[in-house]
Amino acid sequence: MITFDFLFPPILGCILIVLINVYFGIHVIKREIIFIDIALAQIAALGGVIGGIILNSPGLGHEHDEFNLLSYLLSLVFISLAALVFTLLKHKKIPIPLEAIIGISFALATTMAVIILDKAAGGDVHVHDMLIGSVLWISWNQIIRLAIVVSIVSLFHFIFRKKFMNLTDAFQDAYQTFRKPRLWDFLFYFSFGVVVIEAVNVAGILTVFAFLIIPASLTAFTTKSWMRKIIAGWIMGITAAVSGVFLSVKMDVPSPPVIIILLGFLLLLGYGFFKIKAFKDL
Amino acid sequence: MIDNLLFLAPPIVACIILAGVLGYFGNHILSRGLIFIDIAVAQVAALGTMIGILLGFAENSVNTQLISYCFTILIMGVFSFMRIRNQVLPQEAIIGILYCIALGMALLLVEKIPGGSNYITKTITGNVLWVTWNNILFFTLLFIPIILVHIVFGNKIKQVTLKHNLKDVNINVIRLYDLIFYVTFGIVIVKAVPVLGIFLVFMLLIAPASIVNIFTEGWKKRIIWSWVIGSLGSILGIYLSYSINISNGPAIVCLLGVAAYTVAFVKLLKKQPEKIN
Repeated sequence: MITFDFLFPPILGCILIVLINVYFGIHVIKREIIFIDIALAQIAALGGVIGGIILNSPGLGHEHDEFNLLSYLLSLVFISLAALVFTLLKHKKIPIPLEAIIGISFALATTMAVIILDKAAGGDVHVHDMLIGSVLWISWNQIIRLAIVVSIVSLFHFIFRKKFMNLTDAFQDAYQTFRKPRLWDFLFYFSFGVVVIEAVNVAGILTVFAFLIIPASLTAFTTKSWMRKIIAGWIMGITAAVSGVFLSVKMDVPSPPVIIILLGFLLLLGYGFFKIKAFKDL
Repeated sequence: MIDNLLFLAPPIVACIILAGVLGYFGNHILSRGLIFIDIAVAQVAALGTMIGILLGFAENSVNTQLISYCFTILIMGVFSFMRIRNQVLPQEAIIGILYCIALGMALLLVEKIPGGSNYITKTITGNVLWVTWNNILFFTLLFIPIILVHIVFGNKIKQVTLKHNLKDVNINVIRLYDLIFYVTFGIVIVKAVPVLGIFLVFMLLIAPASIVNIFTEGWKKRIIWSWVIGSLGSILGIYLSYSINISNGPAIVCLLGVAAYTVAFVKLLKKQPEKIN
């Protein structure tokens, strides 16, 4: 018998991630910087790894409930550096897509972590854990931390929602006409990075990436209104999260694949629905 | 000294050949904006290998490899037919979803294979130092027909990549050229990843193409310079890794990555945007 007590924390964790990631996902798809979440997660991890090495205890941080202030601060430093680079290199003098810059920083951060962890035993285990993670073993401490970070970032984005939404809508064509685009760009990447650190720590890169991209992909086919897009994404993400966690416990399989397959299924279903609707509207 | 040279000759030759092929494809995928496609393809191929093993074939058997290739080609075919004229959802997002689902499936299958977790992370690190002359001969032979296909259809594929005058072309014709492109690309990636590792393949695709895109225009020039930069980066990286004793793959990746950033920032700091041509 599966108890409610056991299911409740992971479902709550997933819902918190869905709430913020659907919003960021719409930004990310409009800006065509799909893999930024994986890149930021690796960059933050590099900070954590360096912090662990300085404290002479490699691998620290992939244990749940452990909080290491130095590693966390270094992660924040690395995230802000990356945010700065992404902001500066989005420039009309640089004719390559920002996604390429993100890709290069992703590969750099990962291989640097591999070089460093080469010296420390169990490095690949750490990489593996981070990729897959498991939301099933989330603790209340982690939920509280996640909730605090999500509320602060949401509040910040809610207050300045006009700025962020307009900037993203203007990202491809009218970037230069925006007032102080670089400042808002930096704040966007930095706040996203702070969320990614927390979310990946709880659910692993793969699940966080799925919650970011798949619900937001569905909303690409819907109306232009941001609010409707967000609500459609929330419905899809929360459905997949709740049923995914439940099914994975019930069938005793890892939760990330179940959640991803459910999201993929809902995406197909939703896509079909919008196609039929568009066909009827003709 | 001579011994060292003999020992390092196969990896250097392998890197030069692969830098050329990957530099060519890199310019294509950079112009198409599909930066992470090779990571998705590698994951799909790994999933194909796992399916082969689950069907009861040995890991390195011809059957398993064949299943892996067929599976990859199938997925690439589906992907190229998902191109529509008015792309609401960026293709890179479809790549992201593909990567996600392939990795998720691999995680489910992994529990059914003894020692399965090796297959997920196996592709992450390759080691080019272990490459033999036989390997080199084999993948070079495989690349020759692919190069021929691209010599024959190169102009058309380039036109599709750069979106020149596509208004009047039938969408199915575009899809057909896409199919040729993605299938050949998939085969190259499946062959290159076990030799170099996923991150080195990724970097040889993206970094040289990015560097040349920042500094030159002109398609042919970009491809030739990508090859030169990729080869130089690899040789220097292998030399560095040999002399300060770190793994060679990460050394080349870091070298190329830092080079790309340096070039980008130099360009940014230049007051007057110079035309080089």
